Amino acid sequence: MKLKDKIILWSRLKSPWIIHFNTGACNGCDIEIVDALTPKYDIERFGILLKGTPRHADVMIVSGPLTRQQAKRFKRIYDQMPEPKFVLAVGTCACSGGVFDGCYNVIGGIDKVIPVSAYIPGCPVRPEAIIDAVVKLITELEKSAN
Amino acid sequence: MSKMQIPLGPQHPALKEPENFMLVLDGEMILDATVNLGYNHRGVEKAAENRNYIQDIYLIERICGICSHSHVSCYINAVEEIAKVEVPQRAKAIRTIVAELERIHSHLLWLGVAAFELGYDTLFMYTWRDREQVLDCLELLTGNRVHYGINTIGGVRRDITKEQADEILKKIKYLHERTSYYVGVVTEEPTFLARTQNVGKLPKDIALELNAVGPTARASGIEIDVRKDEPYFIYDQLDFKVITYHSEDVFGRAVVRVLEVIESIKIIEQILKNLPEGPISVKVGWKIGPGEAVFRYEAPRGEDIHYVKANGTEYPERVKVRAPTLANFQSLPYCLKNGYLADAVITIAAIDPCMSCTDRAVVYDIKKGKKEIFDWEELRKYSIEFYRKKGVKFS
Amino acid sequence: MSELTKEEEILKEIKDKFSDAVENSIIQRKSRIWIDVSENAKLDIMRYLKEKGYYHLSTITGFDEGEKLGAIYHITNHKIIINLRVRTQKENPILKSVLPVYPSATSYERELEDLFGIKIDGLPEGRNYPLPEGFPKGVHPLRKDVKLEELNKMLNEKCIKEE
Repeated sequence: MKLKDKIILWSRLKSPWIIHFNTGACNGCDIEIVDALTPKYDIERFGILLKGTPRHADVMIVSGPLTRQQAKRFKRIYDQMPEPKFVLAVGTCACSGGVFDGCYNVIGGIDKVIPVSAYIPGCPVRPEAIIDAVVKLITELEKSAN
Repeated sequence: MSKMQIPLGPQHPALKEPENFMLVLDGEMILDATVNLGYNHRGVEKAAENRNYIQDIYLIERICGICSHSHVSCYINAVEEIAKVEVPQRAKAIRTIVAELERIHSHLLWLGVAAFELGYDTLFMYTWRDREQVLDCLELLTGNRVHYGINTIGGVRRDITKEQADEILKKIKYLHERTSYYVGVVTEEPTFLARTQNVGKLPKDIALELNAVGPTARASGIEIDVRKDEPYFIYDQLDFKVITYHSEDVFGRAVVRVLEVIESIKIIEQILKNLPEGPISVKVGWKIGPGEAVFRYEAPRGEDIHYVKANGTEYPERVKVRAPTLANFQSLPYCLKNGYLADAVITIAAIDPCMSCTDRAVVYDIKKGKKEIFDWEELRKYSIEFYRKKGVKFS
Repeated sequence: MSELTKEEEILKEIKDKFSDAVENSIIQRKSRIWIDVSENAKLDIMRYLKEKGYYHLSTITGFDEGEKLGAIYHITNHKIIINLRVRTQKENPILKSVLPVYPSATSYERELEDLFGIKIDGLPEGRNYPLPEGFPKGVHPLRKDVKLEELNKMLNEKCIKEE
């Protein structure tokens, strides 16, 4: 691997930047994601930063079942993220549609539209599970780089 | 002065919710605002007709993650009315405890979010850290931090032990101290006052005309609270005040919410010291009705109303849900008008919106004929900068 | 039952003043009155109720009874809820807007248009709510003849066509 790539990978592993996207959720998972930022769980000590724009993000955290009106917008935001990018489906709704599966305005889980790197089930997801997922993702990245 | 139209999609910082407002600006002032909703329509009411009453509990819980107990309780009360079920007192008391814990968590959440929108990150971290105590209580009682699943038709699913009651009393004593501190911050901190007083004014007569509900209405001096007007659960046996304030602005809404947390703490203490004995549920069959019922409930954001029509089968004929935020959206354009663009963010956050939407704001400058993309984060930063130039700084 | 005096009073006043318009009425329990009224008299009754202190329109529930569509207006003075039910035919259903009396009704009436297909006469132009743009016109999800599986199938096919 070239030195430049090694540095980029190191910075991604040491400090993944996250963008959060809600594709029609009830906010249960969203507040647990924000909880992960607050002092009790404090995800920022891992270098994880919540960014507002997809162009700066390595990891997209998605919550909520995919509603029809969000599908196009969601794909657009995913396309705006630079490679390599990872998607975490947070919550049962994002994994499979959850309790809303079968509702007429819900397409299903987010993997109907974009590839997902990790599925975190839970309704809602505990902040510990979110941290665990991100750590697992980073470990996988390190393994695949070596 | 050029007139600019800004479609603004508000979002809570990590609760990215899509709402869409069209703001017409003249320089810095908002001349007009219209509300476009509907980005988070999932089709719950239709789905509810295809599931039985118990399955619907879990569906309706997930209409909103912040006030899930409110929606379920409202729905279940309507169903129990149709089924002519007499819910035991102990079950009602447990429901009340969870309801008030939910109110505390929701208001603390709001205070943190409002602080974040203003740029007051420290307060955001403090309130959400203290909110963890409430979530611990809820997890102790019900097994989950969000979406408690404690309600069932005819009562509640879990009982409360003496140890749990003692633990909760300890935690809310701590919360009482912390909330008194927040009352001080909200009412005395000059930077907070500078950003919230006289912002987003909603006069009493307009609030009445536009049927505002909850803390938004109470901050305009309207004394309405479903817990007092049409008592449900065991509220008629409890001693608590309806908090109103006269200032009709964002500051008033903050004061009302913070003081309501204190009232909720008092309510929980009263109940836990006098928990009625008895069963926690009665058996109700799968088939309900026929009949129809309407129920109103005081959710943290205001009046929540559900209508249920049963036809004698296991599936409801019709379930209608009107969440409190929808009622408050009608008054939002009025609050935004004649205010500064820099105040738009906190004005919208002050009604405590609970819907989902995306964030997008397009600024169209008519004179220059140019389009710019703004998002909520940028608008939030813009408003913090606007006030920093005026000398209002937060840490 | 003396504890229902307030409910009986207001119901009697409505029946006396609008005897032609009231088709059915019942005091279901304390604080709950249900009245079936004719669509033509709806606004007059509402104006009268608003003067009497029933200023708060909580929401409007649309319904599909099979042969008829309709709406229930849940109006309250915070102590008593009066539920006014009006009906309209299924072919070309139309109801008058209540905005002149209750200016907060906009979203509720748009819901009736989107989800039931009831035309609201007097509702100003605006974006539909709550259905998203792109939802097929003429399909009203909450009508009883729209089955959920078929609706899902149709919407999925439409999505695939658009991609």
